[in-house]
Amino acid sequence: MSTPEPSPIRELDVRPMLRAGEEPFQAIMEAVGALQPGESLRLVAPFRPVPLFSVMANRGFAASDRALDGGDWEVVFSPVAGIEAEAGLATGSSPSAMSWGDPIEELDLVDLEPPEPMVRILEALEDLKPGDVLFALLAREPVFLFPELAKRQHEWAGNFDASGTAYRLLVRHGGGRAHK
Amino acid sequence: MPMASLSRWTMSYFAAALALLLAAEALAVAGIGYPAAGLGEPATLVLVHLVAVGWLSLAMAGALLQFVPVLVSRPLAFPSLALPALTALIAGLLLLTAGFATLGGWIDAPLDILPLGGASLLSGFALLGLMLVATLLTARPIALFTRFVLVGLACLAATALSGAAFSALLSGRGGWLGTIALLPEGLPFHALLGLGGWLGLIAFGVSYRLFVMFMMAPEPPARDVRPVLLLASLGLGLAFAGLAAPFAGIEPGASWVATALALLVLAGLLYGRGILALYSARRRKALEINMLASIPAFAALGLGLALLPVAVIARAGDGSIAALVFLLAFGWLGGLTLAQLVKIVSFVTWLETYASRLGRGPAPRVGDLVAMPRTGWWFLLYYAGVAFGTAALAIGATGGFRLSMAVCLAGTIGIAAELIRIRRLSQIKAADRPPAHERPRLFAARAEERRPDHVHTGTIAHPRA
Repeated sequence: MSTPEPSPIRELDVRPMLRAGEEPFQAIMEAVGALQPGESLRLVAPFRPVPLFSVMANRGFAASDRALDGGDWEVVFSPVAGIEAEAGLATGSSPSAMSWGDPIEELDLVDLEPPEPMVRILEALEDLKPGDVLFALLAREPVFLFPELAKRQHEWAGNFDASGTAYRLLVRHGGGRAHK
Repeated sequence: MPMASLSRWTMSYFAAALALLLAAEALAVAGIGYPAAGLGEPATLVLVHLVAVGWLSLAMAGALLQFVPVLVSRPLAFPSLALPALTALIAGLLLLTAGFATLGGWIDAPLDILPLGGASLLSGFALLGLMLVATLLTARPIALFTRFVLVGLACLAATALSGAAFSALLSGRGGWLGTIALLPEGLPFHALLGLGGWLGLIAFGVSYRLFVMFMMAPEPPARDVRPVLLLASLGLGLAFAGLAAPFAGIEPGASWVATALALLVLAGLLYGRGILALYSARRRKALEINMLASIPAFAALGLGLALLPVAVIARAGDGSIAALVFLLAFGWLGGLTLAQLVKIVSFVTWLETYASRLGRGPAPRVGDLVAMPRTGWWFLLYYAGVAFGTAALAIGATGGFRLSMAVCLAGTIGIAAELIRIRRLSQIKAADRPPAHERPRLFAARAEERRPDHVHTGTIAHPRA
């Protein structure tokens, strides 16, 4: 798995973990947390871990990725000087978000007044199947939506973009439905 | 957790606030208080505190309990204190007004109920402050909006403390103060901190955030907002120093009051310019009733702030100053509060009723809960009363003022009735309302504990359970 050598690049291969059905997110975050200043992380995964790019960008890491043989991907996250480490995903986000599939529906709700974004997201979820992922772009953190998602057993992950003007939200259908 | 739920007792705060506003207006119609009585007389004190503590402060407190958690994306701290705080505030206000009535000789009660009322108000505001400060400080970094509320709450503390000290003095139990003369020199500072700091500055801070949302306007740049907070904080700091000066043996003169007021006026004018910019840069062209009905409130703010320094410099006398303070309290703060209550009550009621049903079928929009244009006519009536009342005070027409207050009262009754109809979903076709036992209750939200089952801690580094 990881090679804990004092080198400028640490490596983490999450393929064995994913094959074993484990969530690699914690291992990745621990590896990131163990990096010394200036060190990079080389991550090997069986897919292109797109959601991780924004998490790492918010922590001050730039990603450079390339496809490996057999459909696997290698991503090197290297620290960007001058960018302060910030919180990645909003607290409450599902830690498994990086292993979700691509969103099958995308909603741009930036220009809608609350609570209309909440209405649109909950309506869209009613038409999706369990496991489907929806992406929504909002103007603010949908604080009244989160309890409703939880009640319906949907999982979500979200954060503001780097400029802090748009909120990016991924919701994975958890099988629940509207009340009655 | 970036989660907000419905504040359970906010509707009770609003109901109590409206009831006390109606009571104050009815007393004014009956000719009790200024201008029939002097500015410092017990009858006027009853009226002023019914409006400032009963109406404006309770409405502000109820709104903050609902919206501070939303605006900082954190759950309300110590939510179980909301009802004890409300109880202490109402009891304190009733004791205080009964104390003033005793001072005025209308009822025969021990004067000790005055400091008892002051202490009860102080403890109610302390509980409120504890909930809000604890909620605000869990969100880091401390946002500019949070600073407005924190400075406002500091002003509330100073106002409530000085008020409690005044109530002890008035009851003849001020011996512990020795020769320190807090009254009447402290009165203008007490009023500045209460109206300008607690009510005014927090209204500034909250409206910047909410109006961006309500009108889909771009966030006002921090370089425009920061000077408002800075100037107001300087003015309020000066007012606080004026209150404390007698303890250091300093006698704050009229110029002290004037300087503090001037700084607040400057802050208010900058704020007004910012709000004007929000209105004109809005992306949502059609204004909803809450934003339409706020326009006269901002006109009252502009007029009041522009004329108040003129009246003070020209030594225009009690009548003009009372008229302008009335314009700011009823036109700006009162009008703004009534207008935003329509939005807050309809939003909360909608959320309470339809959130769990969204996606199942068509749901009404928030605006569908409000009866339009009828609600607009009530606001027109209210503001007409405020305008005539201001003019009547300025020219000293006592009868004219009572008549104007009757118009205000009629408008307020209309708006209160509309708010009750919103809670009862009266605008929604009977078939589209949920079954009776699931409809919102008039005074308390059906707040349930809502927690997501996949989250156990506040960090993303923890795996799923």
